[in-house]
Amino acid sequence: MQRRNKVKGEGFKRSLMMRYLLLAILVFSFSSQIWAEDVLPIVDHMQLATAPIDRSNMKSIKRGAKFFATNCMTCHTLIYLRYDKVAQDAGITYDKMPINVKVWPNGITPPDLSLEASVRGVNWIYTYLHSFYVDSKRPTGVNNLLVHNTGMSAILAPYQGEQVLAPNPELDLFGKVQWYTILILNRQGSMTPEQFDATTADVVNFLAYAAEPYHIEQHRIGKWVLGFLVVLFVLMYLLKREYWKDVKGK
Amino acid sequence: MSEHASQKNRFMEWIDKRYPWTEFMRKHLSEYYAPKNFNFWYFFGSFSLLVFVMQIVTGIWLVMEYTPTADGSFASVQHIMREVRYGWLLRFMHTTGASAFFIVVYLHMYRGLIYGSYQKPRELVWLIGMVIYFMLLIEAFTGYVLPWGQMSYWGAAVITSFASAVPYMGDLILVWLRGGFSVSGVSLHRFFSLHVIAIPLVLAVLIFVHLVALHHVGSNNPDGIDIKEKKNKEGIPLDGIPFHPYYTVKDLVGVVVFLFIFCLIVFFTPTMGGLFIEPDNFVVANPMVTPPEISPVWYMTPFYAMLRAIPNKFFGLVTMAAGVAIMFVLPWLDRSRVRSIRYKGSLSKIAITIFVICFISLGYLGHESVSTLRTIMARVFTVGYFAFFLLMPFYTAMEKTKPLPERVTE
Repeated sequence: MQRRNKVKGEGFKRSLMMRYLLLAILVFSFSSQIWAEDVLPIVDHMQLATAPIDRSNMKSIKRGAKFFATNCMTCHTLIYLRYDKVAQDAGITYDKMPINVKVWPNGITPPDLSLEASVRGVNWIYTYLHSFYVDSKRPTGVNNLLVHNTGMSAILAPYQGEQVLAPNPELDLFGKVQWYTILILNRQGSMTPEQFDATTADVVNFLAYAAEPYHIEQHRIGKWVLGFLVVLFVLMYLLKREYWKDVKGK
Repeated sequence: MSEHASQKNRFMEWIDKRYPWTEFMRKHLSEYYAPKNFNFWYFFGSFSLLVFVMQIVTGIWLVMEYTPTADGSFASVQHIMREVRYGWLLRFMHTTGASAFFIVVYLHMYRGLIYGSYQKPRELVWLIGMVIYFMLLIEAFTGYVLPWGQMSYWGAAVITSFASAVPYMGDLILVWLRGGFSVSGVSLHRFFSLHVIAIPLVLAVLIFVHLVALHHVGSNNPDGIDIKEKKNKEGIPLDGIPFHPYYTVKDLVGVVVFLFIFCLIVFFTPTMGGLFIEPDNFVVANPMVTPPEISPVWYMTPFYAMLRAIPNKFFGLVTMAAGVAIMFVLPWLDRSRVRSIRYKGSLSKIAITIFVICFISLGYLGHESVSTLRTIMARVFTVGYFAFFLLMPFYTAMEKTKPLPERVTE
């Protein structure tokens, strides 16, 4: 899963050079041998953390939307939310999205996040946002466990703080490892780890909402529909039994 | 007789002189005698019809907001999901309906298989049904292209590329199918036309013909014996009951159960964890980026696994096509004296068990990425799949069958 990320963004330059480069990256990313030498082999055993979100919690969604508007929207768009009330109330409006930025650092356009939760899943985003670490070889100064050589900068570092690779992370009994075993917090940011967890959970919850704004309505109606069908089943069953009495006696 | 009733009779008389309404309803419903021993497996024909109607109705409403162009398609689907009131419901009913259609059709076909419903005199019922199934595959494929996500695009690229394996004319046919050298907005637009007009029309006609053929020969039953051989003085089969009201009320119970499961998916897990809607299809089609894994939706995976099991492209395609084609000739492969699996010998029972295992395993393998072990397994199961059909003339003729009952059993 983590290896296909670098080819996913939209809007890269379509020159011939770029195509070859992309092909090279693609080939590179599938070759586990090279990967294992370059990055810690332990990342292959990393499990996604479970995002502690409640998708019916509108307060959390709104907090996430506010955080998105003031932080994430510097680079990311949410094209399909331009008519969404929750997004608009939080200040996420079409004219404020970075639609017209043509030149991005390193030539990588940050992806639109409207459907990110459907593509990656909430646990993936939650883990991704947590697993940045200092890497002086990168132009941004940081790297990520899930998306190796990610183009995303350390925008969350002021909140989370500075993480570095742990010297000797070990696998657990089941041969798995969590991101927080591989990384250690070197210097805390403006938030405590608990506050940062809660904030990222809000953002992830908002992105889940962004991907499926109908989710709450869908579940609400769904329960009524199923309830109706249960009642209808009883009625239909009784009707059938009444009619079939004469078949049984035949 | 009350005033109202006589007025109704006069109205029906007026109609019946000009159109055989009452005669038609009697022939196909209230005086169509179906065997009284239909079991669980006999629900799936009615369910197929229900899903067909549901797909047509939700499809009509989806087309009202959908844009069939490369630039507008993906966004128009998001518009349906977000800004159209209950648009998400219409779309999820349609996407779930596509998979549900194949589930009920596969079970419907399995019923025909185990009770010998394809045997004389029902060969045409089976053949027409097979044509419906084949058209359904094309309908599902063209429909999957329409949201114009990554899987839509690359699935279309892979499936249309099959045409290039045709000797000599392959590349010509490929360009003709796609309307260009690669899959593009032109391809999308023609698939849209096929998906909403051509194939649904053909399907509607075929379903009608399927039912006409069935009602001409009468329904088979789990015992596979002919109920028309034992009739009462009025000429009504002793083991037959009028389809309406008996099977209409029974099917209604089944329909409610079916809808319960259907709605459970529509409202609570419409993507079915990536089986009904693949995660990659939430990314807009990009001809520059090939997804790491291109796999068709689950209902096509058994045949896709056969294709991948063969190392040569041309012979792989021939095998895949043969996998579908061989089902057409099923009525002429079965040499058994009895229809139903209940009275066939143990060889037939073993064969059908192997067949089910092979088909489901191929479906699983077609969904997974390729590995050496999986390729070997796919080859074994492909052999098993074909062996079921190709050896049928021998094992059905050889085995000892059980004596048939005089009348249907409960």
